[in-house]
Amino acid sequence: MAYSDKVVDHFSNPRNIGSFKKDDADVGTGMVGAPECGDVMKLQIKVQNDTIVDAKFKTFGCGSAIASSSLATEWLKGKTIEEAQKIKNTDIVQELNLPPVKIHCSVLAEDAIKAALTDYQKKADTQSIDTK
Amino acid sequence: MANDQSSPHSETRRQLQMARSMCWHCQSEMSGEYFCERCVKVQPVSKDADYFTCLGVPRRLTLDPKKLEAKFYELSRAFHPDFYQTKSPTEQTISLSNAAVLNTAYRTLRDPIQRAEYLLALEAGSVKDIRTSPPADLFEEILELQETLEEYRASDRDSEQGHRLRATLQTEQQTLEGRREDMESQLRQLFTDWDQLQDREEATSQARAERDRVLKHMRDLLSNRTYINNIVSDLAATIA
Repeated sequence: MAYSDKVVDHFSNPRNIGSFKKDDADVGTGMVGAPECGDVMKLQIKVQNDTIVDAKFKTFGCGSAIASSSLATEWLKGKTIEEAQKIKNTDIVQELNLPPVKIHCSVLAEDAIKAALTDYQKKADTQSIDTK
Repeated sequence: MANDQSSPHSETRRQLQMARSMCWHCQSEMSGEYFCERCVKVQPVSKDADYFTCLGVPRRLTLDPKKLEAKFYELSRAFHPDFYQTKSPTEQTISLSNAAVLNTAYRTLRDPIQRAEYLLALEAGSVKDIRTSPPADLFEEILELQETLEEYRASDRDSEQGHRLRATLQTEQQTLEGRREDMESQLRQLFTDWDQLQDREEATSQARAERDRVLKHMRDLLSNRTYINNIVSDLAATIA
């Protein structure tokens, strides 16, 4: 089965590969894996005033997993935390034209987004408690 | 498993259950055998039967491979299409689909790791939150290793840098293989623990907690083993 053009594009020119310091207060890190296939995904967001100003990822896995996380970082940039929560794996499936056997890759990307947002929120909450 | 709900359809449900335990041919009562005692017709594998039941082996993780194989051969002979050439189309269809189910069942249970994955899937419903938090350290390690792999792929293999990276990756591969072996021996211990717990058939809360602990630990080890497997095969393929 061939990958769609968009998957190939993201796979051969992945956007936003890299990482931020995960201990920085304005960084949220999502680290997820799929035990069924062994794929590992790390997705990070940098937040200022409730807006995601930058996003980076590292993925060890198949082309679809890399493409899904690459696309996710593209979409995250410029979104508010609230808007980012609404990104669904089905959006990724549609955009990348993922075949049914690769849907779990998009689920992994959604999980990574959620985990990164949660991690950031947790940090933001403890900070606001500290400053009170 | 599904709650036992009493609905207006319970009458139909009961009939369905009865139908399942009846010979399709002579309607005499059956209790899961492959051949009707009265009319000797072959019976289809029940849709609810798990692979252990299909093969007639106990739901255990330390199965004797010889016995499992013997069971499989015995049943394969029983359903062999050659013996059904002169039988009715229904019997031919049943024997064929039984043979297919048995093949899948045997392929799954033959491999101890796949067997454990299968058992976990069967038991998952009874254990809350069997999927524990992801192993962040292992993930970091894998991602870092992958970067070194990329570096090596991009490097000139005959250069000094290429040689150095290759040596690093080789050491990493050996370390990971060692860890995988260690995980597998831990798993084997857990398989034995699990079977002993099952054999004791205790229903105390302590026994239940112990069961959940073993299942969870198995889940973690099996997942981590898959992650390590993936990176090891990537390493092996790259530096081979």
